[in-house]
Amino acid sequence: MVAIFRTIKSAFQDVMRNMSQSVTTVSILVLMLLSINVLIVVRFLTNEASWVVKNQIDVSVFFVPEASDEQVAEVERYVKSFPEVTEVILYSRDEVFDTFRTEYSDNPDIIASLEELDDNPLGPTMIVKTRDPKSYENVITLLSVPEYEDIVVAKTFTDTETAIKRIDRITSQVEKFSFALSVIFAVIAFLIIFNTVRTTIYAHRVEISIKKLVGATNWFVRGPYLISAAVYSIVSLSITYAIVMSSAGFLDLHIGLLFDKPALLSGYFSAYVLYIFGGQFVALLIFTILSSLFAMRRHLRV
Amino acid sequence: MVSMIKLQHVSKQYTKDSFGLKDISLSIDAGEFVSIVGQSGSGKTTFVKLLIAEETATAGTIVIGGWDITKISRRHIPFFRRQVGVIFQDFKLLPKKTVYENVAFALEVAGESRKRVRDVVPRVLEIVGLGEKMRRYAHQLSGGEQQRVAIARALVHRPKILVGDEPTGNLDTINTYEIMEILKRINAFGTTVVLVTHDKDVVNKLHKRVITLQDGQIIADAKHGKYRL
Repeated sequence: MVAIFRTIKSAFQDVMRNMSQSVTTVSILVLMLLSINVLIVVRFLTNEASWVVKNQIDVSVFFVPEASDEQVAEVERYVKSFPEVTEVILYSRDEVFDTFRTEYSDNPDIIASLEELDDNPLGPTMIVKTRDPKSYENVITLLSVPEYEDIVVAKTFTDTETAIKRIDRITSQVEKFSFALSVIFAVIAFLIIFNTVRTTIYAHRVEISIKKLVGATNWFVRGPYLISAAVYSIVSLSITYAIVMSSAGFLDLHIGLLFDKPALLSGYFSAYVLYIFGGQFVALLIFTILSSLFAMRRHLRV
Repeated sequence: MVSMIKLQHVSKQYTKDSFGLKDISLSIDAGEFVSIVGQSGSGKTTFVKLLIAEETATAGTIVIGGWDITKISRRHIPFFRRQVGVIFQDFKLLPKKTVYENVAFALEVAGESRKRVRDVVPRVLEIVGLGEKMRRYAHQLSGGEQQRVAIARALVHRPKILVGDEPTGNLDTINTYEIMEILKRINAFGTTVVLVTHDKDVVNKLHKRVITLQDGQIIADAKHGKYRL
């Protein structure tokens, strides 16, 4: 118990009495953590943007005007039974007619043509949304059955197919790039941590040898440095957390408008606070401790 | 007399052609004050490093205070070092610790209680004349004072042996005299003192046993010797 108390006391003394070195170490760790969090933001915004674009794509199923309500309801039930379908919106003949009139209200020829007709020439329309744009093709295939040939007049998937494929290609490339960037960042982060800790330990090499000559065991020497590493990790992460959360709040004022979500980034960080910052803390702690142990090995051979 | 330090046919070879010590045999009794003298490269530093288990002998046996340090495991070296007090030419004080903390450190590594540390450290610092400066850092002291802190640290756990590696090498005449007086007092209380030095005046004024090294070998061992190189 006394040994633990002495180790902790000694660690805090080291941190406080080597203030300039502590500030340098913490600054480097904060910069490294900020880089990682910038990458997290970039990945999140890329995914969010991709999701928004994907969400704007849907399949429109046009029915013939003669299709009865029962027939349309049956198709709706059938489409809703597909697991990949997330939403089905049905517009009645009258709603479709009103929308059409509104859309072409500035075209007197079309409006005049409509006036000439006794009956509504448009059939009901069904909008189908799926979890993944890739599933639209499947929905179309499933709808292309002989039972519905007479009532379904058109499916607009083919019009957006190219766009969907392009978005898929872009998001897939972005994800690959983002993953590669994450791996590179992880390697850089490890090298930064290792070299920062190694420099700190190197500056204490004489002190380590003196402690050994006075009769300290390896663990008595290591203890304060390992606790210092934990202190540096906690302080660095706390500073990073404060900077990231305040920056997220500031960025939300601008980015939130684009995505129509006022607390997009801060909401994301708050929702995954343990996962994001807890993960970073555990990784940082493990890296700093392992780096300290490795860097001290040579100097302990006295 | 009981032998405190015993070296039998000890050699230390660094490379094929480079020897630190060659077939050294000697015995130092408990309570003796022995000076080890020699020119640069004679093997003095190797001798000290072997005594404090900083290096291992390539041949022979070294028994210090009952510990055969040629067979000692790395795990046991810290426990052995707590039995031997060492003072160095460059003092080797912990720069970010105060005088009090430097001396207390030697007790803390041995797991001594806080009460004992609080009792013993000020008393030892009083003995070396630094009671008033115990809250200062090493860099705020003179060379002589720093060496006295090192002596206090070496003595605080009451070792049976005190090894001085050129302890007056960085000091002026007055400070050298004061440090030597402290070492003589320590010896008078029964501690075996091994002084490694090339300071002719220091050795000649002592009138104690002098072992002379040259090229890693003992060339003279006189009971009341003088520096003859």
